[in-house]
Amino acid sequence: MPDTMTKLRVVYGEEQLGLHGAGFDYLFDYGQGPVSLVINGKEWLYRAPQPAFWRATTDNDRGNGFSRSAAQWLGADLFSHVVAMSITADGQTVPQPLAPANNDFGPGATADTVGVSYTYETPTNPVAKVIVRYTVAAGGALTVRVRYLGTAGLPQLPAFGLRLVMPTPTTRFDYAGLPGETYPDRRSGSKQVCTVQGMPVTPYLVPQECGMHMSCDWVRLTRETTLNNADHADTPYTLTVRGADGPFAFSCLPYLPSELENATHLEELPPVRRTVFTVYGAVRGVGGIDSWGAPVQPAYTIPSDQDCEFAFVINP
Amino acid sequence: MEASLAWLDQPETFRVNELPAHSDHQFFASPEEAAAGSSSLTRSLDGQWQFAFAADPELIPAGFYAPAFDEAGFAPIAVPGHIELAGYAKIQYTNTSYPWDGHEFRRPAYTTPATNPQVGQFSRASDNYVGLYRKTFTLTDDWADRPLTIQFAGVERAMYLWCNGEFVGYAEDSFTPSAFDLTPYVHRGKNLIAVAVFRHSTASWLEDQDFFRFTGIFRSVTLQSLPATHVVDLALDARPNADFTAGTLAVTAKLSPVANHAKATVTLADASGQVLATQVTAAQATTTWPTLTVPQPHLWSHHNPYLYQVQVTVTDDTGAVCEVATAATGFRRIEVTPDHMVLLNGKRLIINGVNRHEWSNLRGRAITEADMAADMATIRTHHINAVRTCHYPDQLEWYRLCDTNGIYVMAETNLETHGTWQTPAGIEPTYNVPGSVKQWEAAVLDRAKTQYETLKNHPSILFWSLGNESYAGDDIAAMNAYYKRVDPTRLVHYEGVVHNRQYEDQISDLESRMYTPPAEVAEYLSGEAKKPFLLCEYMHSMGNSVGGLNEYLDLIDRFDDYVGGFIWDFKDQALTVTDPITGQPVVRYGGDFDDRPSAYEFSGDGLVFADGTPKPALQEVSEDYARYDD
Repeated sequence: MPDTMTKLRVVYGEEQLGLHGAGFDYLFDYGQGPVSLVINGKEWLYRAPQPAFWRATTDNDRGNGFSRSAAQWLGADLFSHVVAMSITADGQTVPQPLAPANNDFGPGATADTVGVSYTYETPTNPVAKVIVRYTVAAGGALTVRVRYLGTAGLPQLPAFGLRLVMPTPTTRFDYAGLPGETYPDRRSGSKQVCTVQGMPVTPYLVPQECGMHMSCDWVRLTRETTLNNADHADTPYTLTVRGADGPFAFSCLPYLPSELENATHLEELPPVRRTVFTVYGAVRGVGGIDSWGAPVQPAYTIPSDQDCEFAFVINP
Repeated sequence: MEASLAWLDQPETFRVNELPAHSDHQFFASPEEAAAGSSSLTRSLDGQWQFAFAADPELIPAGFYAPAFDEAGFAPIAVPGHIELAGYAKIQYTNTSYPWDGHEFRRPAYTTPATNPQVGQFSRASDNYVGLYRKTFTLTDDWADRPLTIQFAGVERAMYLWCNGEFVGYAEDSFTPSAFDLTPYVHRGKNLIAVAVFRHSTASWLEDQDFFRFTGIFRSVTLQSLPATHVVDLALDARPNADFTAGTLAVTAKLSPVANHAKATVTLADASGQVLATQVTAAQATTTWPTLTVPQPHLWSHHNPYLYQVQVTVTDDTGAVCEVATAATGFRRIEVTPDHMVLLNGKRLIINGVNRHEWSNLRGRAITEADMAADMATIRTHHINAVRTCHYPDQLEWYRLCDTNGIYVMAETNLETHGTWQTPAGIEPTYNVPGSVKQWEAAVLDRAKTQYETLKNHPSILFWSLGNESYAGDDIAAMNAYYKRVDPTRLVHYEGVVHNRQYEDQISDLESRMYTPPAEVAEYLSGEAKKPFLLCEYMHSMGNSVGGLNEYLDLIDRFDDYVGGFIWDFKDQALTVTDPITGQPVVRYGGDFDDRPSAYEFSGDGLVFADGTPKPALQEVSEDYARYDD
């Protein structure tokens, strides 16, 4: 028997790579990215994570024309796609495991560490690249490293992060960070442990970017339900995300930016069905000098021609 | 006298038979009533009135104000309230656009050849709907033989009043009290008052505030039964001496009518009720007493809003009390130093303020005392020390709350003509009013005078503001001169003069601007500043905003002549209604009522949402303002 107490059990499937251990089962689709993160029997992904570039237009964004000048990033948020992926096991590159080559891996494959890396291209002009690298350690610790490659000739980014859509609503979340809804240019308060019930959408008259939490060390999401028809439990269960390179920002909302973007009133948003959890490496300020033209101060913008990298860890 | 609809078209006609504006002191029949704060001399007419809607002036039923008129076409309506929120007319929100833009061609009277004047501009206008109100009240024996006045605390936008079928008077200026003498028209038993409230008159040109455009009797209506001698007006002039070691209080009372041998006693008490000084004199039409002196007075300020109580008691020749009039006062001094610092009681004044419209998500501007108390609690909790009453005088209770809570007030005259000078063409004042148009001067001067006379005793008011976004010309200069003449104890503020600097030596004690980036403020203050600098509007809290507030607060540390500013604004103006699709309460804004033109969500600029719950940005304001709250 393979040593799955201290090593990862690795399954080189036809379309996905499986990494398994005590209390966790991860599936990495070769074409899309991770499609399943099951921890203690509960699924945490509805679809593969995607790089996040857009924020739903704020009143100030509309007033100063930022959404118009940055519109390419809305397309990038919706339609970026994987153009390359690679796998390493214990530091060794694994050729893409398609049949018949994967016939040789057999049922007993193990590894101490497996890395899966996806390269995304944006539908922008010029094209920009994002590399998301997932590294899984034997105990199931999943480190996610996200890197935007600076590209000249593109507008400032509305946001940069990695978005994880989860199958059912988050019922509460706790985090260590700044209290309330904060942005780089509106970050009052001192770091503390905060609890938020549900996934509140700040009821601005016109739905817009909201719910950002800056300078966080960790966040713990709690859900109670799954989509698994055979799972009848409603016991709360959690997922904890920690910053790997230092503090991070996140939002935990029931809607995608594109859904918020389309609504003129709160009640036009659909019933809450899923969790849209986004970890940000860069957040643009909201501004405030006026709502009809004043730009966000340069210190609070995200330049497109510089790299942006952040990392976080999920522990089972 | 007969009512004339032509008044609607004449800027020179804005008050007919109105009683002169007077102080908002309270008055009682006895010391006991005064102590209890409950007067038998006033009676509220708030509640259910009978109402009919006329789509334009020609559709007003003849004689609707007559007692014998058949009320069959009338239905109950709540007073105070807005006609639009009662479902009779479309709710509309516009910003600078006049609400008729694109529907009717109008220019203010006497500004262009086409409108010199434009006869029938409002009196024969299909968009000038009219609210017709009838209310009966019973004059009981104890009130039947005494003078009776009626006060309308707020009516938008032009009102005609009848009593028992006879025309009483006409009033404009929606946000200050309008009072009339009913004595000649009333009798013991049942009486009828009738009011026609017009959506538009020349006052509409002067009330182009960025807000929901409402119509109707939206503040309280009160009957006042006057005693044999009534304190019509009370003027309290409380000043600390040069080094704040003593305070002097000069009291002037206007009495009417003055009975022979009547006496008038003034007392000054401290906050605990301890009487500090008393003077008695013979009652006269204008009664004054020797100046009262208070050694080592408590100075009124944000952190110590210490109020003294003034009481004037009028007694008749038998010594019986006719009336007790009361008002609060406070000793404080605001001044500008030669190097343009603003001082309050000798210390630098820092304004960490907010602009506040009166607003309820359920009642519009017809807010209640509970609404005001909730607003004040939020302001106090979050280290906001000042309020600009944008862009009109508020309900009187608000100033009492500011007095007692130590909130500095910029009291703004009811004037905004934004759409007459700032258009897509830029600053284009060819038909600006009031401008320097002589025929409009009296109307805006009257607005200044009414605000001053009504509110002059409130220690919380540190600034008189001439209005908002109305450009600058001779008429606004005349308003400035008026406030300066009647009140040397306060500063005068007006922002619009920065767009027409030829008047800057005549208008405004402050260099006031709005939405200036912090770097530009610093640039101005680093140069040859002529006046203290204030941002009467800054940090536009629309939606998810208020980023970079600390850069403004840093200016306080950098420049002594930076006074601070008022954030735009306190509360989202939006309405909670029932969603016809889901049956759930939902929030609606401009454009959601088929209203065009509309400025849509542009009124959602509050630090709190329309229902008063804080926006996330409020914690930032609270923390940043707290740095200076000492």
